[in-house]
Amino acid sequence: MTKVLFQKGLFEETQGEPALIGSKCGSCGQVLFPVKSVCLNCMSADLESIRLRRDGILYTYTTVYMASEHFPPPYTVGWIELPEGIRIFSQIRGWQENPLKIGMDMRLYIETLWRDEDNEVIGYVFKPVIGET
Amino acid sequence: MREVAIIGVGSTVFGKFPEKAIFELGTEAVQAALKDAGISPKDIQFAYYANLYGGMVEGQAALRDAGITDIEITNVENACTGGATAVRRTWYDIASGLYDIGIAVGSESMTTSPIAGKLIPPAKGDLSGELGMNTMAKFALSQRRYMDISGVTLEQIAMVSVKNHHNGCANPYSQYKKEFSAEDIINSRLICDPITQLQSCSTTDGAAAVILTSLNVARRYTRKPVIIAASVIRGGDYAFRQKDITFSDVTYKGVKGAYTMAGIGPEDINLCELHDAFAVNELQHYVELGFCERGEEVALLMDGVTNIKGRLPVNPSGGLLSKGHPLSATGVAQIAEIVWQLRGQAGKNQVPDAKVGLTHTLGGEVADLEAGAVGVHILKV
Repeated sequence: MTKVLFQKGLFEETQGEPALIGSKCGSCGQVLFPVKSVCLNCMSADLESIRLRRDGILYTYTTVYMASEHFPPPYTVGWIELPEGIRIFSQIRGWQENPLKIGMDMRLYIETLWRDEDNEVIGYVFKPVIGET
Repeated sequence: MREVAIIGVGSTVFGKFPEKAIFELGTEAVQAALKDAGISPKDIQFAYYANLYGGMVEGQAALRDAGITDIEITNVENACTGGATAVRRTWYDIASGLYDIGIAVGSESMTTSPIAGKLIPPAKGDLSGELGMNTMAKFALSQRRYMDISGVTLEQIAMVSVKNHHNGCANPYSQYKKEFSAEDIINSRLICDPITQLQSCSTTDGAAAVILTSLNVARRYTRKPVIIAASVIRGGDYAFRQKDITFSDVTYKGVKGAYTMAGIGPEDINLCELHDAFAVNELQHYVELGFCERGEEVALLMDGVTNIKGRLPVNPSGGLLSKGHPLSATGVAQIAEIVWQLRGQAGKNQVPDAKVGLTHTLGGEVADLEAGAVGVHILKV
């Protein structure tokens, strides 16, 4: 099994701290994910790559009971609202152990998304934050 | 711009017809529209043909067997809004004076499509699609949040499906033609929590066609031309600009443009066929289309305002929930339904004294955008 990235440039893990990589516009301040070459809000090319915050809030979720191309049912997906003010669509893990609730704290992890014939595809997921205040 | 009218409409019955090719369904609808208009195929000057899941030049194949060849034919795709897009383009080519008589067709065979029996994914390589997004999950995500922030219950949402399935029972073109209770709907198979099978439109095959002419030409064919008062297609904006996923900004902007174009407001609409791909959509669209304020949508439904006998009947045809949803056919079929209503030909589902009708389709899932496209038409007699 070869480990491959789901898509290049979406995330990084430095010193055990994973983060999604986005763009921040130096002109209008818009934060974008994934990284873009121009700001989609104002078309400025003055963008810097930034590490997005690891923790967000569960904006909404659904559990899907039919297969998709890569995921057998049931699987759960949702929108996570980050402090930067953008929503990230993601697979959600840990939902069987911890009932989901809109507004709960969620945290980013880098994990295997799926396996195909030769590859283990690595990507990002969010999980509920449990037992912390 | 010249005024444009509809002189003929036709539709196949909607249902599961895996033995029929996409173009065969298309031919059937075209022939029905030609017959309805009382026009020879030789008089059709151009055509737009909407289809998503077929092969090349589907339109030429469908029109060939209806006797229409040797003219300008354009095949179009815009997901669930494809049919409305074909009508919009046909409208424009006549309004602008380029042609006098054209046909818009939408045809889809979902049972033979590559996504038969699956949830509809975005295009290959789409970031969200790769992560498990599909059109039902998109609206399940919206419904979950809608219920959470508004307090609207599953029982109330199911009543949309009860109403539309009731309407569909008397529509000869409908796939289901069956009554369901709110309990049936809630207890049907869970697909994308909280959306169950009967809160969702089905896998459906079908086609529809409408023949458009300039208003002057229309008077040669009919004493009751249905005028296209507004025709709008609009693509979705960036998702980061959508404040709240339970409110479709593209629907709101699209319908606002249509009201401006027609010179009327939501209070002037007598009936509406809207995109109830999922039951929850109908309640949300009441607000976006301007039929009520946010928070009043459940009352509009429960008080019977949107019943066939109500002040503003919505989906008297049965909608996508009962009729079914052959993607590219839907936008054209909605217009056919409104035309039958405005002519007084809607049979048991006839809305009394309807003069102005609105159609709305919303479709397409793509990462980073609110939606693919919205289509809005306002028809009047």
